[in-house]
Parts: sequence; structure tokens; C-alpha cells
Amino acid sequence: MTASPLIALESVSKRYGSRTIIHELSFTVARGEIVGFLGPNGAGKTTTMRMIAGYTAASEGRVLVAGRDMATDHVDAARLIGYLPERPPLYDALDVRAYLRFVAKVKGIRRPAIAAEIERVAAACRLEQVLGDEIFKLSKGYRQRLGLAQALLGAPEVLLLDEPTAGLDPGQIQETREVIRRFGAEHAVLLSTHILAEVTLICRRVAIINGGRLLAIDSPAGLQRAVEATNQVALRVAAEPAALRAALLAVEGVRAVAIREEGGLLEVECQVDAEDGVEAAIARAVAGRFALHRLERREPTLENVFLRYVQAEPARGAAA
Amino acid sequence: MSGTLAVYQKEMATYFRSPIAYYVVAVFLLGSGYFFLYNVFLTGETAMAGTFQNMGILLVTLAPLISMRLLAAEYSGGTAELLLTLPLTPGQIVMGKFLGALTILLLITVGTMVDLIPLYLFGTPETTTILAGYIGFVLLGAACLAVGQLFSTLTHNQIVAALLAAAVLLGFWLVGHLQTFQSSPTLRGFVGYLSLSLHFTDFIQGLVRSEGVVFYLVISAIALSLSAGYLRWRR
Repeated sequence: MTASPLIALESVSKRYGSRTIIHELSFTVARGEIVGFLGPNGAGKTTTMRMIAGYTAASEGRVLVAGRDMATDHVDAARLIGYLPERPPLYDALDVRAYLRFVAKVKGIRRPAIAAEIERVAAACRLEQVLGDEIFKLSKGYRQRLGLAQALLGAPEVLLLDEPTAGLDPGQIQETREVIRRFGAEHAVLLSTHILAEVTLICRRVAIINGGRLLAIDSPAGLQRAVEATNQVALRVAAEPAALRAALLAVEGVRAVAIREEGGLLEVECQVDAEDGVEAAIARAVAGRFALHRLERREPTLENVFLRYVQAEPARGAAA
Repeated sequence: MSGTLAVYQKEMATYFRSPIAYYVVAVFLLGSGYFFLYNVFLTGETAMAGTFQNMGILLVTLAPLISMRLLAAEYSGGTAELLLTLPLTPGQIVMGKFLGALTILLLITVGTMVDLIPLYLFGTPETTTILAGYIGFVLLGAACLAVGQLFSTLTHNQIVAALLAAAVLLGFWLVGHLQTFQSSPTLRGFVGYLSLSLHFTDFIQGLVRSEGVVFYLVISAIALSLSAGYLRWRR
């Protein structure tokens, strides 16, 4: 990371009336970095994005974009920001080219350069076919890509993307991620999402937020470990605990076993590797020797990942 | 200035892709045309005074339909998040939108001038009186649009914005009638000064008084400043 980050949040809080939405959030994004902003719905991602974009002001703390304080210099800072809100902000009555021309003019792109700039972002977002179409006729995928295109106009220093791949098909998601990856090589990108795979694929760091609080800033590898740790197989078995534990730990892919007794049966949670087939191996190992009442595979969920960060690493957020 | 111009151009591009603008212009021109024919044939005078009076009432009720979408549509359509995060000051946003609405008003004004053709063909109207009436009409319209824009800035709902603006404007149009019930000269003067219609009557009669001009300009400036101030505050 460089000494002067392009995005810096310093103990930022946001209150609406007596309700605090964001609690003392601090993190930075440097040039050349793509930072994933991961959290479930209602975690505070959109509010934080809006504060960085200048749509709403922080109640406490400072939001700095390229060294400019968003509380006092937000109009000046806005020239350096490309922002795609959660809902693409499109004027349905305009055609695609007129819309991009409007945004380009307001961003201060010089008149002779506007046409070339529109062509550039249209090519990057695969909008060439619809440049003359009215926006209300566009499909959801095109609307999302048009939202991204307006954010890319003028090659801003800072790109804020709130759920940029929502509504796109798998092919479009791949293309959009490639656009973001290329752009992020020379700019600062903050990417909000609730899709785990998205951040692990394209981000250098991941800021994990829940309930308006930053839980941790981790690497995608660290996040991947947390995800894998939430791979579980749950069983309900009639057995002697020590023998059952030994049998389960002997199965390849089982990393840890937690056993508790409930109603005369054993409730068992096995931490397992992500590979398929582990539950079948467990079933084979258990069914022959013990009375197996129930077996289920629990897929990793965001909530479980967050719980893991809350339980295992409560202090890491402060270090971010 | 370029930001204001960009917002203005966007407004003009979107206005005429919405049926509301066509509706308002058509209703106004039909209404004013009817009043013109009625007044001229009823009085037999080649004057616009009666027509201007009716045009004023029509303007007070229809201007909120022009202004209702200015900010309310941006909020409800999600585009406010773009507009308020682009490098634009609240003042540029408010002025760009106001100038767009004012252009619609000027188009309406030009449209009503068709009525003048038979007036000049078959009579000898007083040009200066008609000119004063049109100046008053544009100033009154500007004040109505600025007040309408203020209500559009305050709410996400276009219908609510139009209804509130129409109620307030009609209140200020009719407030002059309260003069009849005032015995105190000060209160009579005050109520009269607040009246949109009494100032307009001066213009219709050919009197372009600085008091009337300042009144409409101050109303417009206050409403536009409050709109910009609200946009600043809501951050």
C-alpha cells in the first residue's frame, strides 16, 4: 500500500435520528487495489458507499477521497469518483448515448473528447449495440452495464461499485469482473457485494461488515479459509462418543468433530473439507457400526462466515 | 455554469419525452384560446386584460404540473443518487432544472401570442399594455415554478408535490381578497403585498412597477434558495 490512500475512512459513524447505522468504520483503499466490501443485506454497505460517494454525509469521523474531505470538498472530490449505486441511476426517457453524454459533460470531459470517451466505455461494457436505444427498452443486464459505463466515464481515480454484477448472466458477470480487474490495476476500486466468490476472485483485500461494524479486513485467502471452516456435516447418531469420534476422525476430509448429547442421542458437527463426497464417506464409516438417525451437509453461508469472524477474530477489525 | 447547462440540456431532453409537458402546453393553449375568444367577443374590446386575468389563474393551477417532476422524479427514479454525487453544486442542479421549466413556460407564452394576430388584424390594441401583461405573466410563472420546484425538492411523490404547490399558490393568489375584511391600513397593505394576483393586475393594466417585479423575483429567489439549501441539508 502507498502512503496516501485514495479512499480513507477515519472512525466514520452514520446516524439517522437516534439509530446508528454505521459504527466507527475505518479502512483505506490504495491506488491499484480492489477491495471487496462484503456483508449481508442491511449490513451498512450501501450507506458506507453513499458516504464515500458524497450522497450522504458522515455523522462523525472523516471520509477522505484522494485527500479531499467529503464533508467540505465533495463537489471537487466528485470529479475523481465513478459511482455505480445498487440501483443503476438511469434516465429512462433518454437514449444510451444522450445519457452518457450528459454524465460526461457534468464530469467535465472536454467536448471534443466526449464522443471517443463514450465509445471507450461502451466498448468496455459491451454497449455498442444499444448506443442509440432508449434506456427504458434495455434489459436488466444492459441497464446494469450502462450504470457501470457511466461510472467509468472520465477514468476516475476512485471507482465505487455497489453490487455491480447483480442482474447479469454468468457470461456478463465474467466480462464485468474482467473490466473491474483491468480498471483496478491503476485505480482504487471499492466493490460492495454479498457474493463470496466475487471478492475471492477479484479483490486483493476484503472488508467484512455486519451490523454497521467492520468485523475484519482480510485477504481473499483468509476469507477462503473462513469459508472452508464453515463446511460442516451434521449427524444424529446413537453411539458411544469416544468410538464415534475415532471413527469420524479416521475419515479422510474430516478435520474436527464436536459431539454433544441430546435426548439420549449424540448431535455431532464435523468440520470437513470442501470436496464433494465427504458426507458419503462419513455415512459409510458410521452406518456400519452405529445407528445413524440423520446426516446432512451444511453449505457455507455468509452468516456462518460472519459468525466465524465474530467468534474467532473479534479484535481484527480494530487493526484495520 | 457548464454544470447548470448540462442539467438544463438534460431537462429539455427529458421534458418532451414525457406526456406531461405536452398535456400542460396543450391544456394551457386551449384554455387561454377559449378565454381569449370569450373575452373579446363578450366585451367587443380589442384588449387582453380579461384574457391575462384568466391566464394567470390557469398558470397558478398548471405550473405545479410542470414543476412536480423536477426533483421528485429524481428521488423516486433513483437518479438523485447520480445527480447528487456528480460534480454539481446544489445551486447548479436547482438552476439547471428551473431554467428547463422556465423554457416550457416561455414556449407556452409564445404559443399564446397566436391570439394577438386577430387582435392586431381587426383592432388597434395598446402594445405597451400587452407587453406589460406578458412581462407580468412570465414573472408570475417564474415564481409559480420556483415554488413548485421547492415542493418537488421536498417530496418523493410527484402528485403530492403538485397538490401542495397548487394549494400554496392558490392561497397566495386569493390572499388579496382578505383586504376586504381588514380595517387596519397596515394589514390591508401587507395582505395586498402578499397577493400574487394583485401584483399581476398591475401588469395587466400596463403598469410595470418595480414593486411587482421585485415581488415576483424575490419569491423566485427565496424558493430556489430554499430548494438548494434543502439539497445541501439532506446530505
